[in-house]
Amino acid sequence: MHGRPRRPDKPEDAAAAEAKAAKLRDLQTQVLRNHHSHTYSKEALGLSFKLLELNPEAYTAWNYRKLAFQHNLGELSELEAIKSSIDDELRVVELALRQNPKSYGAWYHRKWLLNQKLAPVDFKREFGLLDKLLKVDARNFHGWNYRRFLAKFMGVPEEEELKYTMDKISDNFSNYSAWHNRSILLSNLLTQQKKGFESKQKIFSEEFELVTQALFTDPSDQSGWFYHLWLLAQTSSPENPQLIALWPSNGAKLSLSSVREANDKQNTPFSFSSICCYSLKEGILPIVLFFNEPVKGLTPSSVSLNSDLVVGKDIQWRPLSVTNSGHSNCWVTYLEVSNLEYCSSQQFSVEISIPNTDDIVSRSGSIYNCPVNFTFTFEPNNIDSITKDTDLIHDPISWDCSEPLPSHVKPSCIHFDQLKITNALIQEESKWHLERLSDELDLFRELPDDNSKFAKLTLARLLLACAAIKSRGSSLIERRGYCEEALGLFNDLICLDPSHKRYYEDERSLVLMDQLTCNMESFMKYCSVQVLPNLAPLNHVQLCRLSLTRIGFVERLLWVQMLDLSHNNLRSIEGYTFPYAVTLYVYFKHLVKQGL
Amino acid sequence: MGEPEQLEFARERHALFLEAMASELPGDYASQEVNHLTLAYFAVAGLSLLRELDRVNKDQIAKWILSFQVFPETDNELDNGQFYGFCGSRTTQFPSTNVKDPCHNGSHLASTYSALAILKIVGYDVANFDSKALLSSMKELQQPDGSFMPIHIGAETDLRFVYCAAAICSMLKDWTGMDKEKAKQYILSCQSYDGGFGLVPGSESHGGATFCAVAALRLMGFIQVDLASNLREPASIDVCLLMEWCLQRQAEDGGFQGRRNKLSDTCYAFWIGGVLKIIGAYHFIDHGALRGFLLSCQSPYGGFTKLLEDPYPDIYHSYYGLAALSLLEEDEIEPLCIELGILSAAL
Repeated sequence: MHGRPRRPDKPEDAAAAEAKAAKLRDLQTQVLRNHHSHTYSKEALGLSFKLLELNPEAYTAWNYRKLAFQHNLGELSELEAIKSSIDDELRVVELALRQNPKSYGAWYHRKWLLNQKLAPVDFKREFGLLDKLLKVDARNFHGWNYRRFLAKFMGVPEEEELKYTMDKISDNFSNYSAWHNRSILLSNLLTQQKKGFESKQKIFSEEFELVTQALFTDPSDQSGWFYHLWLLAQTSSPENPQLIALWPSNGAKLSLSSVREANDKQNTPFSFSSICCYSLKEGILPIVLFFNEPVKGLTPSSVSLNSDLVVGKDIQWRPLSVTNSGHSNCWVTYLEVSNLEYCSSQQFSVEISIPNTDDIVSRSGSIYNCPVNFTFTFEPNNIDSITKDTDLIHDPISWDCSEPLPSHVKPSCIHFDQLKITNALIQEESKWHLERLSDELDLFRELPDDNSKFAKLTLARLLLACAAIKSRGSSLIERRGYCEEALGLFNDLICLDPSHKRYYEDERSLVLMDQLTCNMESFMKYCSVQVLPNLAPLNHVQLCRLSLTRIGFVERLLWVQMLDLSHNNLRSIEGYTFPYAVTLYVYFKHLVKQGL
Repeated sequence: MGEPEQLEFARERHALFLEAMASELPGDYASQEVNHLTLAYFAVAGLSLLRELDRVNKDQIAKWILSFQVFPETDNELDNGQFYGFCGSRTTQFPSTNVKDPCHNGSHLASTYSALAILKIVGYDVANFDSKALLSSMKELQQPDGSFMPIHIGAETDLRFVYCAAAICSMLKDWTGMDKEKAKQYILSCQSYDGGFGLVPGSESHGGATFCAVAALRLMGFIQVDLASNLREPASIDVCLLMEWCLQRQAEDGGFQGRRNKLSDTCYAFWIGGVLKIIGAYHFIDHGALRGFLLSCQSPYGGFTKLLEDPYPDIYHSYYGLAALSLLEEDEIEPLCIELGILSAAL
């Protein structure tokens, strides 16, 4: 159906076309008559052959031939005769494919014949046919699909098929279908842990070398770049879900006071962490766990909470985004603190631990397997107990809408996203990933800058993958460095490839958000405390005038109560959860659909 | 390729071209006669997009379409394994009314989709339509893996027919014709590692297959509106990768290719543009460049060509060229219900 009929140029051609059409009509009528009357004589078969040779799209004729084949088979007993009958059918298919190598009917007929399993398959003939057809059109997906069917049908080991893809790729790096087939075969071999394919790391290292060769030979060809992207995804995504943020953070010391005292300047609430937790609605303290992908299975047994505050009560974890399947990135539970007396300077500690459990799973079924343990303490506060050696948040500032606020927060910082992951296994895997990615980074930085958009995009992705891995510990400076480099690349891409400009703007926004929020010291200048009369002070973050088209890394903003995203280019903030936020200021640049 | 400002949308020429095709197809289309109803769909749907349906006789068309429907002889024959849908052409239709023998029944899922689409476009009320036999027999065409066979005698099964089944159920407003959950599983198994969908599991990503997958999921209610802005929402398909694959299909000439490393082809502006519209990411493409490409594919004979350099138009690419311009919200073209492939006004 997708082919295009040509109009004739000259009158003689017109006559020929008309004659051909008349012949087709004639043949179709005759074949249909034979089909309806169940006539399977040699003559009738011959007519259907003529028809299919002219027009492989006549699917009724293919079905007629199947019925004829089965009917005539009943009268044959010798293997030779059967084989001859099969050969005839195979020949019809070959001739039809010559007319149209993409005929669904023809390919299906061949598969159907083989599936009858009446005679041994002629290996050479089948693969020979495929070779011929794929030489004429290396991208004929019908051919490739048939090849996959054949290999499976004949039990050809996938390792051998892998070699075939290698041959095709060596012939021509641009053979995307060969790369595609390679990815399927490799995935199967690795999943099945076949001999020689036990180590994902070894195999992917080899594949990286292979594809990099292709890329350096011809950087303008798309095929290799996308295979590389696939390899990257295999190497840089963690296999198991990870806990990437929680609020309150490990080691935080929170202080609470009640609302009615908050507008008195002397009652400056304080905290030993740089972020204050002010009075909460109805005396409830939320505790938030944020994972890197949606998970479910948080129960009182899979995530335990111990505290003097909650004696004898079962803690229920709730997902914050409502989904069909029950999976969510963000999970919360609530501690009641309303019945505490604000008189003593008693400290309560809250300990959260995730022991060895199989309960927490991602959508794909992989298990969260990193036992962890966090504690934070919590002190209900009284005006009288302000001590002098605390020097954190000074002077809450009254806020005027029209001015950007300087921050007066002195960072005596505890990284609010700091997690102590003690599982050595995770670090081990990360180490390989990081080495692999760093090698690729070095290689690609050396690629001559011929303004290939794929080169820049891949380099940006590599940088971001490295940045993601360096999220723990002291490598935050490096992370910002990667982000900076990636930002430059996305700016280049916007100029280089303007037809995909909006997509690059989105990616750039994400990188910018990463860079701004990954490091407390730099982030602090966007944070402040907002005080309005008769309201509790609120943790306030302003990310204005940054040309953001999209936001991300919200797991770092769990503690934010007031988020100002005005004067950006955001189109939507659907789907982001801010567990704490009381208010969200977002001004949309275009309220209606995007103009051209 | 001319400057976009110099290119005009040649509305009247296309209307004349489609009108001609609607009354008689040139001899070159003889090999496509088995898909006659689908060819008719291109002509009728194309005219409807141009608001020129009055150029054809709608009643006559409806009658003609209905004449292709196959009925069981008696109610006892409802579940004898045959599909009671529409034949695609006179040459696949048995002349007599006796359809006891399975091999006399050539009704086909794709023709059934085309038939229903045309009926809706010309304003025939499908509630008048006797769909009981159609739906219950259609269910028999569904395979254990969730895919659909297009005819009961046997043929290849792939995403195209899953789409047809979903569209048929949607137009008849009756989902007893298929097991949606199973169909969804099959569709998911067709998503390739690069985000696009292949026609069968394991096949490389292809624009037409991707449209069938996403449109079918949308019709069945498995993906919500504006998915791309709502990426935190766990979707059953990998939306990020899908969006990326689709966006990368727009080439430097502004048109869309159907697979990597292939030439830009008019129809993919609809297949892939349609996917992007459904998931809410259409604003990411370069609209101006696409429009320029499409207008450059207009033929002096009316209609659209498949490729930029092609000399002649064909009805398939003419329809999809118009449909793609509809997505671009071109003046003088009616809006389209993308997932069903018919006018929004015909719903």
